[in-house]
Amino acid sequence: MNENVNPPGHTPTPEDIDQHIEPHMVVETVPTKRRQIDLWRKFKEEKLFAFGVIIVFLSVFLAVLGPTISPYDPNFATGRVSVPPLTDPGNGEPVHWFGTDNSGLDIFSRTISAPRTDLSIALTAALFSMFLGTVIGLLCGFFRNIITEIIMRISDLLQAFPVFITAMILVALSGRSTWNIIIALTIVYMPIFIRLTRAEVLGQMPRGYVEAARAVGNSEMIVAFRHVLPNSLVPSLIQLSTTVGFAILLTSGLSFVGAGVRPPTPEWGLMIALGAPQIILGEWWQSIFPGVAISLTIFGYAAVGHGLEEDYR
Amino acid sequence: MVALEKEASGSSSRYILEARDITVRFPIVEGPDVYAVKNFNLAVKPGEFIGLMGEPGCGKSTAAMSFLGLVRPPGVIDQGTVEFMGRNILTMGEEEVRQLRGRDIGMIVQNPRYSLHPMMRVGDQIANVYRAHNDVSKKEAWAHAVEMLRMVGINDPERRVKAYAHELSSGMAQRVLIAIALSSRPKLLIADEPTSGLDVTIQAQFLDQMWDSCRQTNSAVVLVTQDLGIVANYCDRVVIVHEGTVVEDADVFTFFKSPQHGYSRRILELQREAQAAGEAVLGKIDPKASPILDVQDLSKLFPIRGSESKVHAVEHADFELRPGECLGLVGESGSGKTTIGRCVLRLVEPTQGKIVFQGKNLADLQSSEFRKFRGDLQIVFQDPLDSLNPRWTVHQVLTEPLKLHTNLSEAEREDRITELLKLVGLEPSMRFALPREMSAGRQQRTSIARAIASNPDFIVLDEPTSALTPETTAEIIQLLMDLSAKLGIAYLFISHDLTTVKYICHRVVVLYLGQIVEVGTKDQVFNRPRHPYSRALLASHLFPDTANRRVDREVRESLKGEIPSPITENLPKGCYLYGRCPAQLDKCRDMPQELAQLDDGRSVRCWRVAQGDLPEEPLPH
Amino acid sequence: MVQRFIVKRVLIALLQLIGISLVVFFVIRGLGADPVARIVGMNATAEAVQQAKETLGLHESQMQQLANYLGIFRTTTREGIIQGSLGESWVTGSPIFEEVTRFLPITLELITYALLIAFLLALPLGMSSGTRPGGAADKFTFVWGLFAGSQPEFWWGLMFVFVFFFVFQDFGLPSAPAPLGRINPLLTAPDPITGFIMIDSLLRGRFDVWIDAGKHLMLPVFTLVFVVSGPIVKLVRQNMQRVLRSDYILYARSAGLPNKKVARYALRAALAPAMTLTAIIYGFLLGGAVPVELIYSLGGIGEYSIRSILNLDFPAIQGTVLVIAMVSLLIYLAIDILHAFLDPRITF
Repeated sequence: MNENVNPPGHTPTPEDIDQHIEPHMVVETVPTKRRQIDLWRKFKEEKLFAFGVIIVFLSVFLAVLGPTISPYDPNFATGRVSVPPLTDPGNGEPVHWFGTDNSGLDIFSRTISAPRTDLSIALTAALFSMFLGTVIGLLCGFFRNIITEIIMRISDLLQAFPVFITAMILVALSGRSTWNIIIALTIVYMPIFIRLTRAEVLGQMPRGYVEAARAVGNSEMIVAFRHVLPNSLVPSLIQLSTTVGFAILLTSGLSFVGAGVRPPTPEWGLMIALGAPQIILGEWWQSIFPGVAISLTIFGYAAVGHGLEEDYR
Repeated sequence: MVALEKEASGSSSRYILEARDITVRFPIVEGPDVYAVKNFNLAVKPGEFIGLMGEPGCGKSTAAMSFLGLVRPPGVIDQGTVEFMGRNILTMGEEEVRQLRGRDIGMIVQNPRYSLHPMMRVGDQIANVYRAHNDVSKKEAWAHAVEMLRMVGINDPERRVKAYAHELSSGMAQRVLIAIALSSRPKLLIADEPTSGLDVTIQAQFLDQMWDSCRQTNSAVVLVTQDLGIVANYCDRVVIVHEGTVVEDADVFTFFKSPQHGYSRRILELQREAQAAGEAVLGKIDPKASPILDVQDLSKLFPIRGSESKVHAVEHADFELRPGECLGLVGESGSGKTTIGRCVLRLVEPTQGKIVFQGKNLADLQSSEFRKFRGDLQIVFQDPLDSLNPRWTVHQVLTEPLKLHTNLSEAEREDRITELLKLVGLEPSMRFALPREMSAGRQQRTSIARAIASNPDFIVLDEPTSALTPETTAEIIQLLMDLSAKLGIAYLFISHDLTTVKYICHRVVVLYLGQIVEVGTKDQVFNRPRHPYSRALLASHLFPDTANRRVDREVRESLKGEIPSPITENLPKGCYLYGRCPAQLDKCRDMPQELAQLDDGRSVRCWRVAQGDLPEEPLPH
Repeated sequence: MVQRFIVKRVLIALLQLIGISLVVFFVIRGLGADPVARIVGMNATAEAVQQAKETLGLHESQMQQLANYLGIFRTTTREGIIQGSLGESWVTGSPIFEEVTRFLPITLELITYALLIAFLLALPLGMSSGTRPGGAADKFTFVWGLFAGSQPEFWWGLMFVFVFFFVFQDFGLPSAPAPLGRINPLLTAPDPITGFIMIDSLLRGRFDVWIDAGKHLMLPVFTLVFVVSGPIVKLVRQNMQRVLRSDYILYARSAGLPNKKVARYALRAALAPAMTLTAIIYGFLLGGAVPVELIYSLGGIGEYSIRSILNLDFPAIQGTVLVIAMVSLLIYLAIDILHAFLDPRITF
């Protein structure tokens, strides 16, 4: 065939097919337990998605059990200062897999204990902002009046603030406690969910099923929450995964610049910051391990988010 | 060119295009490949009009595109030959085919506005194609673009040539495509559903234009469509495609008289059955019974944000419906027919007017009060998939109205659902299916079941068949008529498809720009329409009947220009049809028209008709 | 048309700026931080505290403080926003406006170069992956777009310092300069004209500074390009693939347009969204480049803002937030105008 509209070697994705196959080719299927099966198959077949899922599970596992299974107490100095990775103390104590830092804390123990701080902050904040943002977004999209209009303007205003600086102000001035960080992150990320949900709701409103739900005789609130909301959740759920990633980044970024959790809490950003001056001295191990941990975690969450996005779009 | 013609004078010179044994495959990641087109054969003679027909997804569009050697990604043409004037397009060099496309074979597609580049002036796009095939300067090409726009009947081409796609109506955009397609005078034109989404009168204008232009240049046309009306009125030959293969290839008259293949026979037969079912119900209505619904002086004006002017969707509409009656509401886009349906159910709040239902004015009720009546007034929507909650099973969809409007126990509800499924002809196994797992026909049946669940006396049918194939349309029409006969429901049948209206309605209301222009019995409106708009509308509608083909008529009655958008400042001062009307006088410009009742019982909004200037006569043949 | 659009947008932006200054003003006072204690110390006498309060203007009611800040119904001789003053820093005592205009260009220079490079890299990458889906470029950009979309830039910055400064030096290779500022401390910077050191040094004819500043900017710019190119590449790729599957491209082919022309049609449609995204990232980086500025000790607006925040220097915090918001609103406005110019579907 001479035509190159169809480039060789392109393996089409399900999305391609959806768009270009004419309807009769889509065979009617008997309804089954499709959702679970699809996710499992996706896990088995898509390497990137599988990697993401593993990372997500591992991070949650460490958030729950990290400090319990760590070989050393993450907050207790061993007395062996700045030893390189894989050092065996030789006195029957566990090996320092990732070395120790310049105050003698075991880096491996701290790296696997950190998710308890990073992940619990990021997950809680992301869930809060998703929950609040979705409800507000739904109401603002569904009921168009002066009040919801004002709420949207306020949300716009929040989005015009520089994210990083706003978070720094909120945390640094209210005291650098875990809850304050969570509240700050919630405020910073909520407008995204408001926007997303509202846009989706506005897209759903002209759909026939919404009008049909009214025609059947439902009240406006029932139409909004029973019909429109479940059909407007997908963008928020996809965004959730991405937001957790961003929130981990912001949490650690705040500690890195000194406006996050206080030392010596085991936290990745803080560990990198403490190790930063040692880098120029050649002690690379203090910063490298927590950094790899952040990098992989965020990548994992992004991969899951992307995988879900492709499926549900 | 010379070489081409020499070769063409060989053995296959009778045909301009000969496609043999084409197979198009779409590879699929998970699961077996899909063959959209299988062993497809077609031969086209010079100057011939061929209708390539079939249901959506039968592969007719894919086949038509393969004549240009193109497939939508990720498809592949697996085998076959496409000989154009004796030379195989599929084995030609890339540059050679490129030159052939647009010069010797032109193409028009559906959704014309998406087929034009959104960020470039249409003039540049026409000029680019012209320059790709002709050695001319930019300036000459631009001048040619203006000429082409004039040729395809666009007013003020010097201004339109600078327009962008989004500034054009779909009718106008479709003309731009035909200007591109014909700019190099092709020998073959492939038109893929060129009029889907166009209004009836605009469709007639466009097809007439295409027919005339192609006859002038003796171009052959392959017209892909699923509209029996278009085929009957314009084509010389019909080719039926079913599951990717040609199953019937016949002269148009032979086809409509005695279709050969089972599929073709089924479509035509179903249409006749639907007609019969409609006629069986007609005539059972007691014309003296007090109306179940009486709409008086209904108006709806939509405000436009940041502007004083308004959209005049409906103006002073009056009509009534008797129990068991089916009233047709017909008109083109902007006529307000859908808004009337919504207003009656208060899905849109009317600006003014009374909606008297069983003696009670519903327009005055508080919305919470009105909600109780929802069980008695129901609606079936146009797009069946869209009107069902995508996450709800059939069972959930049907449970909702039962919970809201009946006091049935759970067990009784289950029985009722079973009964409803049976009434609308759905298999019991469909009970737990999601909308997207069903065919469009089944989705629409679910929608109908939902509407009748609460035993309503009145249902608005808002274009219930216009998203369906001809085959499913006939089935749904039959179902609706059966239900009307069994349950005695009155219908307000809103449609732009006059063929279906003709089957099932007792009386017909014709709307133009938000005004009722004519009300009468089906016979009156369909056989002897009086208002100039009704006449043009019916003359433009393409009935699937080869007895009175539009192309054979001496006078092709039609309207000039486009439908204005119904915004305050766009509306004519006097008669709304002024400027497009074939019977207009100067007086009409400033004289608002009133709906006047004639002796034979019908009402017409035209002073010349009321005065007897325009005598009653059947549509010209 | 265009003028009306610009006037309208500027008015909205002004309203937003007023909103932002009010919100910032009340939020920083409402969070319970005590700037007086920070300045006079925990064990100061009541008189000392009172005196400090009066010098800072904190003895007034909050509404009066706001009035003084805005410059209407003032109770002090200090000028407010209306008079064109952002107040004076509580820590250094110098006018905020002067400090901000000193630090802002440093950040602007850094992120402008980074985004220009990222955009210019993303275009060909995204295009080639769009035209050849499944090819090597496509696979790379896909993973890259996903990976670099959100990465800890502060950590990557450190890693680059470690590799290009420490390791390279160790192996005796030509290495990057120490991450200690914009230029070698032994050189004197040219007097600012634009505030962009690369441009100023050229204008002043200081080629030694130009070369040195270039070396110092290399790693920070590279760090930012590394993290911000991801989303841009991803978007160009997605757009390209969407456009190439569109009806109008298929139609252009079926009308026999040459491949070059078709490619131009596609690029035209895919360009505008990528530009908008770049502008959004620009706005984000204005305040978000703090960690990178810190690592390379560049002394930009981000570093200034964190210093102000940690010192509870309220006027400085108000000033920086306001200026950053203003610059990003200007950028969005500019990009909207450009967008409307490229895409006729956007109406003013």
